[in-house]
Amino acid sequence: MAELTSTKLNAESHLLLDQPLLRMPYELSRRNFKNAQRVIEHASTNLPSTLTAATKAASPSSPLTHLDTLLTKMHTLKRKLETLHAEENKLHRASKARLHHLQDLYAVHSLVDVKYEEWSRTRLSRLLVDYLLREGYTASAAHLAQSKKIEELVDVDAFVACRGIEMSLREGRATGPALEWCKEHGKELKRGGGMLEFELRLQQYIEMVRQGHEAGAEGSDGEGGGGGGEKKLVEARAHAKKYLSLSGDFELMGRAAGMLAYRPWDEVEPYASLYSPSRWDHLANLFVYTHHTLYSLPPRPLLHIALSAGLSALKTPACHSAYTPSSTNAASATTTVCPICSTELNELARNVPYALHTKSIVEDGPVVLPNGRIYGSERLRVFNEKVGTEEGWVRDPMGGLAGEKWRESEVRKVYVM
Amino acid sequence: MDDLLAQIELLESSANLSTSISDVQQAIDMLTAARAKVAADGSTAPLTLAKLQDPFKKTLEAAQKDLKPIYAGLNKYGKALDKKFKDKPLPSAENDALSSHPSLINRAIAMHLLREGQFGVASTFVDEANRHPPHPEPTLNTPNPYLTESWEKDLAEGTFNSEKLQQQFADMYHILHELRHQRNLKPAIQWARERSEALEARGSNLEFELCRLQFICLYTGATPDTQDTAMDTDDENPAGTLSAWAYAQQEFRPFQKRYAREIHQLMGSLAFWQNVQDSPYARLFYNESAWEEVAHAFNREFCSLLGLSADSPLFIAATAGAIALPYLLKMQSIMKEKRTEWTTQDELPVEIPLPSQYHFHSIFVCPVSKEQSTDTNPPMMMPCGHVIAHESLEKLSKNIKFKCPYCPNESHPRDAVKVVL
Repeated sequence: MAELTSTKLNAESHLLLDQPLLRMPYELSRRNFKNAQRVIEHASTNLPSTLTAATKAASPSSPLTHLDTLLTKMHTLKRKLETLHAEENKLHRASKARLHHLQDLYAVHSLVDVKYEEWSRTRLSRLLVDYLLREGYTASAAHLAQSKKIEELVDVDAFVACRGIEMSLREGRATGPALEWCKEHGKELKRGGGMLEFELRLQQYIEMVRQGHEAGAEGSDGEGGGGGGEKKLVEARAHAKKYLSLSGDFELMGRAAGMLAYRPWDEVEPYASLYSPSRWDHLANLFVYTHHTLYSLPPRPLLHIALSAGLSALKTPACHSAYTPSSTNAASATTTVCPICSTELNELARNVPYALHTKSIVEDGPVVLPNGRIYGSERLRVFNEKVGTEEGWVRDPMGGLAGEKWRESEVRKVYVM
Repeated sequence: MDDLLAQIELLESSANLSTSISDVQQAIDMLTAARAKVAADGSTAPLTLAKLQDPFKKTLEAAQKDLKPIYAGLNKYGKALDKKFKDKPLPSAENDALSSHPSLINRAIAMHLLREGQFGVASTFVDEANRHPPHPEPTLNTPNPYLTESWEKDLAEGTFNSEKLQQQFADMYHILHELRHQRNLKPAIQWARERSEALEARGSNLEFELCRLQFICLYTGATPDTQDTAMDTDDENPAGTLSAWAYAQQEFRPFQKRYAREIHQLMGSLAFWQNVQDSPYARLFYNESAWEEVAHAFNREFCSLLGLSADSPLFIAATAGAIALPYLLKMQSIMKEKRTEWTTQDELPVEIPLPSQYHFHSIFVCPVSKEQSTDTNPPMMMPCGHVIAHESLEKLSKNIKFKCPYCPNESHPRDAVKVVL
């Protein structure tokens, strides 16, 4: 049987929400390192041969020009590396700040410690920034991070980049940025076996075919033949051969080939759904999904995860009850408003399950008033003292100062097991 | 955690791109020197260049080789990360009931920011959220979120577009600031006086507490406007005492009935104006925490009158969520292992031990059926004072006289009364 209440804080198991916090800068560091590796590799394979060419150059003036181009190239290399180095430093600093932040938790041993509350507030700010970034509220996210001074604990830039590509698909209907991203992350994507790149290439093909048909239709209206359209369709075929034929999905190949015959406005399935603009949303979602998986980011905002767990853990049947519970009501100064009953979360909590309890939790010394309301005897006493009820009488805190009152003898003890 | 930190420090201090950059700089220096030489004397060009070949190539190779420690360092760090999070799965998206109500979440966030006093961030957010309204996604319990969207929107926009809430919280922060930092009670007293009736009905004595503190301030001469003279008026000049007395005459009249005892105390203390420190009333006057207590009480009353809890619900819920997550994930993995389904959708399958300050309502669990009471199955008290759930009562009694399961008392079910916890 689990304990009903526990204030012990187990930092190790408490870090469930915080894995992405460390993963993100790590993955970015690796990417940064790979970029550096590529730049240097490129230089050390190409530049020595340039020098060799300079040596072999016959004319007396050319060694200088050769050396100059070589120097320019080397300076570019150095500049590139310095940019990468700055980025590297930034990432390491972020990682370190995050590690220190998490380590702070290990120093706290109780959930009721003020330090834990402080830590948890920072965590909430982090979760909020994560949520805002995922929803695309970039300015708010940056503003919040700045005002809470947690810039090193959140990944505004990475999310902004992701959002940019997502929007280029969703609204810009352009495959370019996403394909560029695929190229940069080629190796990991191959290992992950995602369909993103294939889907993007397929979309390119679809757009080519669409243009081909449209140009063809225009052409046939006028005098000139559909030459432009024809050309575009041939191009599309070549594109399909180059990028799509390797997939081995012959059924899809068949459908793709069929598109050459069916025009977008023919509305014949399965081609119509391939022509459909909703594919762009599908691509955008697929991109975000691929991006998040690659960077070990959970598919849903962390705030959702924390909140749904929290709402359930706190929710009681009383929170959406038609009767105002005695234990908490806004009309009495002796209680605090329950967060689930508070306006902010009440509707949100309507669809989550409530917490399981196996034992009653009641105030000490419960007594019942003649109207059936149960109160802790101490709280009842304090309330009546505060509102100045006459000696020998008891007033129901429910109605405040105007509440019903009875003689003290009418208040009975009640046994809740 | 320590090994992770050690790894990152290693990366930061030595295993980074700086060595490769200096290699590249070395190559640049070489080239520059060679260029100067060739420029000075063209005839040496073939020789200089030939000599340059090998070192140049080597330096670039060194630059490449110097990447290795970074690679190794990153790998090690990655392995340490894997180890750290080996048995901590990323929380999955299952049981996500929130994606279908993004506007409610947005509203909760906006209110959270306002109540935290982050007015700047809040207005940025409200702006952005209004420009890009969120897209609800279907979830298990709300398969078609668009149906409910219209009322949700109304609900959400109720606060989104109103600057009233922001104004109210701005007021609250202003009053709190005056209380805590300026020790100025006037705005708080004015606020309480305007809501005198509502506060009184709640059984709150905030207004009186504030006035009493004002009285004490005047008495000890600690109000901001008399601060400078406080030192010498204290024991020689009864000015502070007199103004306190005047204040009491003027302000305490409405409180006389309810707080007669407290007022008598305050009045009695006036007799000790010369040595109140040694008087029986000293604890009334030298109470350092009084200000913080009053500020706290004010904060709570303020939020309660708006129907809001004193601490941010979003904060409490997120914190409770983080505490609950390990239990929920463990439960999920056990259920997956045993291939069982969780049968009651409206109740969590595990009990989550939360610290007691996270319990806001009394909970009644029927000792017979072990079920929590609900509106349709309320707790019933038998004449002996024992409480069981309505359904249990019906099952046990079969509508005839029955024995209480917890004591020898016998009663008829119609004598049981519904109670509210």
